[in-house]
Amino acid sequence: MSIAASETVQQASGTMSLAWLLFALPAFGALVLLLGGRRTNSWGHILGVLTVVAAFAVGLVLFFTSLGAPPDQRTLNLHLFDWIDVGSLQVEFGMRLDPLSMVFVLLITGVGALIHIYSIGYMDDDRDRRRFFGYLNLFVFSMLILVLGNSFITLYLGWEGVGLASYLLIGWYSDRRSAATASKKAFLMNRVGDVGLAIAIFLLWANLGSTQYTEVFARAGQLSPGTATAIALLLLLGACGKSGQFPLQAWLPDAMEGPTPVSALIHAATMVTAGVYLVARSNPIFDLTETGRLVVTLIGAFTLLLGCIVGCAYDDIKKVLAYSTVSQIGYMMLGVGLGPFGYALGIIHLLAHGFFKAGLFLGAGSIMHAMNDEVDMRKFGGLWRKLPITFVTFGLGYLALIGFPFLSGYYTKDAIIEAAFGAGGWRGWVFGLAGAIGAALTAFYMTRLMLMTFFGKSRWKELRSADDREFHPHEAKPVMWVPMVLLAIGSLGAGAFFVLGDRVVNYLSPTLGRLSTAESHPIPELLITIGTLVLAAIGVLVAWLIFGRAKDIPAQRPENVSGIVRAARKDLYGNALNEALIARPGIWLDRFLVWLDNKGVDGLVNGTAALFGGSSGRLRRLQTGFVRSYALSMLAGGVILIGALLMVRYA
Amino acid sequence: MTTPASLPDIDYAGVAPVLIILGAACIGVLLEAFVPRSQRWAVQVVLSLLAIVVAAIALGAYLYTGPQNTSTFAGSIALDRPALFLWGTLLALGLGSILLIADRVVEPGGAFVAQAGIRPGTMLDKEQANRSSMQTEVFPLALFSLAGMMIFCSANDLLSMFVALEVLSLPLYLMCGLARRRRLLSQEAAVKYFLLGAFASAFFLYGVALLYGYANSVKLADIANAAGGTNRSDALLFLGMGLLLIGLLFKGSVGPFHTWTPDVYQGAPTPMTAFMGACTKVAAFGAILRVLMVAFGSTHWEWQTIMWVVAGISMLLGAILGITQTDVKRMIAYSSVAHAGFLLVGVLALDGSGIRATLFYLISYGFTTIAAFGVVSLVRDGTGESTSLSSWAGLGKRSPLLAGIFTFLLLALAGIPLTSGFVSKFVVFAAGMSAGITPLVVLGLIASTIAAFFYLRVIVLMYFSEPAADGPTVTLPGMYTTAAITLGTLVTLLLGVYPSFMLDWAGTGGFVV
Amino acid sequence: MTPTYYLVLSGVLFTIGTIGVLVRRNAIVVFMCIELMLNAVNLTLVTFSRINGGLDGQIMAFFVMVVAAAEVVVGLAIITSIFRTRRSASVDDSNLLKY
Repeated sequence: MSIAASETVQQASGTMSLAWLLFALPAFGALVLLLGGRRTNSWGHILGVLTVVAAFAVGLVLFFTSLGAPPDQRTLNLHLFDWIDVGSLQVEFGMRLDPLSMVFVLLITGVGALIHIYSIGYMDDDRDRRRFFGYLNLFVFSMLILVLGNSFITLYLGWEGVGLASYLLIGWYSDRRSAATASKKAFLMNRVGDVGLAIAIFLLWANLGSTQYTEVFARAGQLSPGTATAIALLLLLGACGKSGQFPLQAWLPDAMEGPTPVSALIHAATMVTAGVYLVARSNPIFDLTETGRLVVTLIGAFTLLLGCIVGCAYDDIKKVLAYSTVSQIGYMMLGVGLGPFGYALGIIHLLAHGFFKAGLFLGAGSIMHAMNDEVDMRKFGGLWRKLPITFVTFGLGYLALIGFPFLSGYYTKDAIIEAAFGAGGWRGWVFGLAGAIGAALTAFYMTRLMLMTFFGKSRWKELRSADDREFHPHEAKPVMWVPMVLLAIGSLGAGAFFVLGDRVVNYLSPTLGRLSTAESHPIPELLITIGTLVLAAIGVLVAWLIFGRAKDIPAQRPENVSGIVRAARKDLYGNALNEALIARPGIWLDRFLVWLDNKGVDGLVNGTAALFGGSSGRLRRLQTGFVRSYALSMLAGGVILIGALLMVRYA
Repeated sequence: MTTPASLPDIDYAGVAPVLIILGAACIGVLLEAFVPRSQRWAVQVVLSLLAIVVAAIALGAYLYTGPQNTSTFAGSIALDRPALFLWGTLLALGLGSILLIADRVVEPGGAFVAQAGIRPGTMLDKEQANRSSMQTEVFPLALFSLAGMMIFCSANDLLSMFVALEVLSLPLYLMCGLARRRRLLSQEAAVKYFLLGAFASAFFLYGVALLYGYANSVKLADIANAAGGTNRSDALLFLGMGLLLIGLLFKGSVGPFHTWTPDVYQGAPTPMTAFMGACTKVAAFGAILRVLMVAFGSTHWEWQTIMWVVAGISMLLGAILGITQTDVKRMIAYSSVAHAGFLLVGVLALDGSGIRATLFYLISYGFTTIAAFGVVSLVRDGTGESTSLSSWAGLGKRSPLLAGIFTFLLLALAGIPLTSGFVSKFVVFAAGMSAGITPLVVLGLIASTIAAFFYLRVIVLMYFSEPAADGPTVTLPGMYTTAAITLGTLVTLLLGVYPSFMLDWAGTGGFVV
Repeated sequence: MTPTYYLVLSGVLFTIGTIGVLVRRNAIVVFMCIELMLNAVNLTLVTFSRINGGLDGQIMAFFVMVVAAAEVVVGLAIITSIFRTRRSASVDDSNLLKY
C-alpha cells in the first residue's frame, strides 16, 4: 500500500505555531459583528472583509513556510488545548497542518476574501448587511475548523458550524416562503448525513479508542474488514449530505434561495466540497475497503450524470449552475473514490472548480443585479453588449468548466476521466464513459445557458420584472467586478498551474500518498483526451443548433413540455426517426431524473419528515389534559414494564 | 427486658450541607411568623442564598478533609463521591433557581402570588396582582425541597429514599400552584402534579414493600446480596423492582411516565419550572443511577434489555412530540423527556464511565435549563409571560442579545459542539458504546437529530420572521434573573470548551455499597 | 391462617385503589383512593414483617402513615384552592393544559 502508513507528524513550531490566527480572525469578526448590534452597521462589512483577507495572508505565509520544508516534514500538529482529557476519553483540540489542509485554507480564505469583497457591492442595499457579514465570517471560521482540525471531533465541530451558517444564509430572504422551505430542506437532508458521520465517529471511537487522525490512521489496520466498510459507508453518507450527492442532492439546488455570494462561496466553492475533503482525509480508512471505494465511485458517477441531465431542464440560471455544481462534485467523488489513483485528482479538480464555479456564480449575481434580481434565462438574451466585463469573466468560467483546451477544467477533469478509464475491467468502461458523457452534457447545458443569457434577441426589452419594473441592465460596480476578474484569471490558469509538472500532486503526496497511475488503459490516453474534447464539442454544437440558431426562444416556459422538449420538437421535427431514437429517450430520461430529483428522493426525505410530523400530531392528541388518562397511561406503561420484567425472567 | 438501643454514628461534617439547608428552611418558616411583611422578602432571600453558600462551603471542606466513600446514619445516607458530586450540583442549580425565584423586577412583585387563598378573577385578586409583594414562604419551601433532593440521591436504603421523595415532592406540588398570573393554569398544574405524583409514589412504596418482603431489608446492598445467591422467589424481586421504577422514572420524566411533564412545566410559574427541570432531574437520575447499580446491578442481565427499550421510547417520544409544540415551555418539557432518554444511556452503561457521563450530563443540562427558563421569563406581554412560540417571532430583530443567548442555549440542548450539550451527549454515548449498547446509541443519535429540528425551528423563528405588530416586549431583567441567566450560560459555555475538570470531578469514584 | 392471605388482601386493596384513581372523578375521592393504596402497602409491610420475623416493616408502616398525613395536608390545600376557583372538585374539569 502506497499510503502514508509511515507518516511522521511533528509538532508545529516557529511561524507555523501562529496557525491558530487562521480561524481566530474570522471568529473575532463574527463575534463583533453578531454581538455588536447596530453600532457596527457603518463599518461592519469592512471588518468582515479585513478578517478574511488577514486570514488569507496568514494562510499564504504558512503555505510558503510549509513549501520550504522537506516533504516528509510538512505534516505538522499544533496542539491548542486538551478538550476532554479524562481517563480513556482523550479529545485534543488541535490543528493539523499538512498539505491537504493548507490547500483548503488557501481556497477558503482566498476565494472567501474575494467573495467578501464582492458582497460589499452586492449586499449594498440590504438593511442587514452587517449581520450578513457576521454569518459569512462565522462560516469561514467553521469551515477552517473543519479542514484544520486534527481529529474527527473537531471536524464534526466545523461540520455542524458550516451547516448552521449555511441554513441561516439560505433563509436570508425570510420574506420569501420558498427560502424558508429551502432552508428547512437543507437542514433535514444534512441531518441525515450528519447522523451517518456521527455514528461513524462513535464506531471509530469504540473500535480504536480515539478520534485523533494520527491515532486512527496509524491503527486503521486493526479494524475488521466489515467494520472498516461500515465506517467508510457511514462517512460517505455524511459526505453525500454535505456535498449534495445522490441520494441527498435535492437540497443543493434549492439552496440557491440564498443571496448569490452565499451560493458562490458556500454552495459552490467551499462547503459543499467538504464531503470530498472528508473522503480524501479518511483515505487510510477507504484504502482498507474495496467495497467502500466502489460505492464512492458509483455514487460519484451516478451523481455526475444526474446533475448534468437535470441541469438541462431548468431555466433558472442559478439552478442550472447548482446542478452543474452537483455534477462537478460527482466528478470529484469519482476521483477520490478511485483511491490511490485519484485522491489527488479529486482534490485538484475541487480547487480548480472552486475558482471557476465561484466566478460563474458571481457572474450570475452580477446579471441578477443588472436585471432586477431576475433569474429566468428566458427573459435574458443579448446581454453581452450591456455587461461586457461580466460576459468576459463568465465566458472564461464557462470555457474552463466545459474543458476548453488549456483552461482549468481541461486539465483537471480530463485527468479524472483518464484515471477512471484506468480503473480496469467493467469499472474502467463504466466510470470512464460516465465521465466522458458527462463532459458532453456539461458542454450542452452550459452552452445553452451562455446562448440564452448573452446572445440572441434581447427578450428583456419587451418584458417587465415581477415587481413591474422595466429592465435596465448595467455593469456592476468595480467592487463587484474586480473579484470576478481575479477569479476569471484563476479559471484561466489555475488548472495548468496545478497540473503541469504535477505541482499539486507532489505537494499533496505526504497526506494522500503517491499518486498511482494505471498500468494500462483500455484505450490510449491521447485518444481519451481527444475523445472527451470531441464529445464536448458535440455538446456545444448541439446546443448551438437548438438555441443559437433559433432567434425566438419563448419568453414564457411552455406549459406541460420542458424547454428541451419544446426546442427538440421545433428543430428536430422533420426527422421523426431522430426524435424517436435520440430525442425521446433523452427526454424521458431527463423527465425521469427530474422526477427522481424532485419527487423521489426529496419525497422520501420529506415523507420521513412528514411521518414524524404526522405521528407527532397524532401522538399529541393522546395528551388529552385529563389527569385520569395520564394515570391510565402511567399504569399501562407500568404494567407493560413489570410484565416484560417477569417475562424475561421466566421465559 | 429492654436493651439500650445503640445510636448509630453520625458523621455530622458529612451531612452538614443537608442539615444546613434543612435548618435554614426551618428558620425561614419561623421568620414568616415573626418578621414584618415588608421585610420578609429581603430577609428570606438573604437567608436562602446564605444557606446555600454555607452548605457549599461545608461540602467543600468535607470533600477536602473527610474520609472517602463512607456512609452514615447506619448506612442510610451514602457519602460517596457520586452523592457528594450530586449535592454540589444540586446546590449550584438551587442557587440559580433561588435567584430566579427572588426576582421582583421582571414581574413586578415576583412570579409568585401574594396570597394563594384569594380566588382568581375576583376584585381582591386583581388588586393583589398589582401589589408588589409575593408569597415569601416559597423560599423555605424551595429549601425543603432542595434538602429532600439531596437526601434522595444519597439515600442508601429505600425507606430514606421514600421519605426524601416526599420531602422533595410536597413543596413542589404547592409551589406549582402559586403563579401570580394565569392562576387557573397554575392551580391545574398543581392538582395534576399532585395527584399523579402521589399515584406514582404509591407504586414506589408498594415496590419498597415487596422488596422488603424479598430481602428482609430495604438497604440497597442487602437487596443486591439477596438477589445474588438465594432461592427466594424472583417474582417478588422483579415485581418490586418494576413498581419502584415506576416511581423513579416518573420523577425523572422518562417516557412513557412523562405525561405530567408538559402540563406541569407549562402551568407552573417559570422560576419553579426551572427548579423542577434542573434539580428534580438531577435528584431523580441520581437515585435511578444508585438503585440500578447498587441494588440491581447483580441481576442486570435480566432487566437491562427492557430498560434499553424504555430509554429508546423516551428519546423518541420526546423528540417526536416536541416537533409540533407551539408553546415554548411545553417544547422544553418534551425536550427534557428526550434528554431523560439520553441520560438513561449513560445510566445503562452500568460502569464507572457511565456514572461519570451521567453526572456530567446532569450538571450541564441543569445549568442550560435554568438559563433557558430565565430567558423564557423575560418575554412578556400585557397578561404576563408570552410563551406561545408565535409571539417569539422576530425576537432576534428586537432583542439581539437575548435572542443570541437563547440561540446558544438551544444549540446546547441540541448538542452542537462547543456547548456543554455536545460534550455531555458525547460522553454519554461514548460510555454506552463501550458498554456495548450500540443500537441504543444509534437510536439516540437519530432522536437527537429529530430533536434538533424543533430547536432550529425556534432559532429560525427568532431571526427570520417579522415581529408581530402587537407582539410581546422583552423585559429588562433585574439583577437576580440576569445573574441566573449569566451563570447558566457561562457554565454551558465553559463545560463545552473546557469540560475536563468537571469530568474529572464526576469520575472520581463509584458508589459505596 | 397463613400470612399469605394478608398479602393477597393487600394486593386486592392496592388494585381497588388503583382502579378508583382511574374511574372516580371527584378529586377528593381520587385522593382517598391513593390513600387506600398507601394503606394497602402498610398492610403488606406489616405482613412481611411478620413473615420475615423482624420489626423493620412495622416501623416503616409508621413512617408511611406520617408521610401520608403530610400528603393529606398538601393535597387538601391544593384541591381546596382549585375547588374555590372552579366550584367543582371534578378532576375532569381541570383540562386547560393539554396537547
